[in-house]
Amino acid sequence: MFAEELKTMRRLGIRHILLQILNFASVLASGLMIWKGLGLITNTESPIVVVLSGSMEPAFYRGDLLFLTNPANEKYKTGDITVYKVPGADIPIVHRVLETHDIFKKKKGAVATTPLGQDQLLLTKGDNNYIDDIELYQGLDWLERKHIVGKVRGFLPYIGYVTIAMNDFPQLKYALLGGLGLLALIQRE
Amino acid sequence: MHSIYSRINNISGILSTCLMVLLLGISLSSFVFTADPKGSLEISSIQVSPGKARRYHNKNQDFAFVQFNVSADLTPLFNWNTKQLFLYVGAEYTDNKGVRNEVVIWDKIVRRKEDADINIQGRNKYAFRELSSTFRKAPPAHYTLKYNVMPYVGILTYGEAARTIEPVAFPESRDLS
Repeated sequence: MFAEELKTMRRLGIRHILLQILNFASVLASGLMIWKGLGLITNTESPIVVVLSGSMEPAFYRGDLLFLTNPANEKYKTGDITVYKVPGADIPIVHRVLETHDIFKKKKGAVATTPLGQDQLLLTKGDNNYIDDIELYQGLDWLERKHIVGKVRGFLPYIGYVTIAMNDFPQLKYALLGGLGLLALIQRE
Repeated sequence: MHSIYSRINNISGILSTCLMVLLLGISLSSFVFTADPKGSLEISSIQVSPGKARRYHNKNQDFAFVQFNVSADLTPLFNWNTKQLFLYVGAEYTDNKGVRNEVVIWDKIVRRKEDADINIQGRNKYAFRELSSTFRKAPPAHYTLKYNVMPYVGILTYGEAARTIEPVAFPESRDLS
């Protein structure tokens, strides 16, 4: 008599747990899809970045959220705020373009269909720094298009500070993850 | 059904939705303000002098020293969503090999509406160099005053406030020291 009920309960329990896992997986998957979809539309590998340093103060402070695009058929101009990553440096840097030089190369029998057919040399500088970034380029003399992740189009203050706080205080991250996991398990609605 | 947990959940959900809508509204309001103020920019003097390159100390390089007068009333650019203006004076020229150059020689951050009526006699803050290391063959350059309006939240916008009427030629290089 009891065995029957225990059986149904166990079956329900397994289904419940499976459903929760499925929910969790779908949340993760849709997050990834939104991120990659945004990247596809904006043509950049990371369409949203968090400011980590104070070199662009008072425009951007630590923890501000920046929205990037990297238009495929547009050249960068002076005054644009770019995010770049040079080989050898581990974190991308957000700084303003100070100089652009569009190199015109003649190739025999070739025509360029976009402005990007020409190379562009860039020099950047942080608003809060006194000198330009040449010391940050790991030996390069100029930045090139291939080093640029995107240019800043939109701005949202403070929101990104959560990620900085989680990096600075790992306990917070574990507490948050543990709390969420516990809630997901005990909540039965 | 009406547990404390679900109440907290609902309230925080509504609050964050309201906040998002409000922020979106504020950032969209930037499109309503379409001020396009104009000013004037004159180059009072240019000198070109040889010097040592920064990274390669055995290489000689020309440096241009530019003095300019800039006046523009940029107060219309300040609206409720303007955090600061970034102003910059740049030189633009295309040399005979087809290389298009844009070099920022001076910039300024304006954070208050009261300071946005610009009337400055300035000289270049940043080294003004040529890719080929000499200005001898460089054609006359245009100089521009541009601005970047940086919002509290939303889209960054750019504009041009002034441009020299005639391109200004680079003089012969001579040793100033």
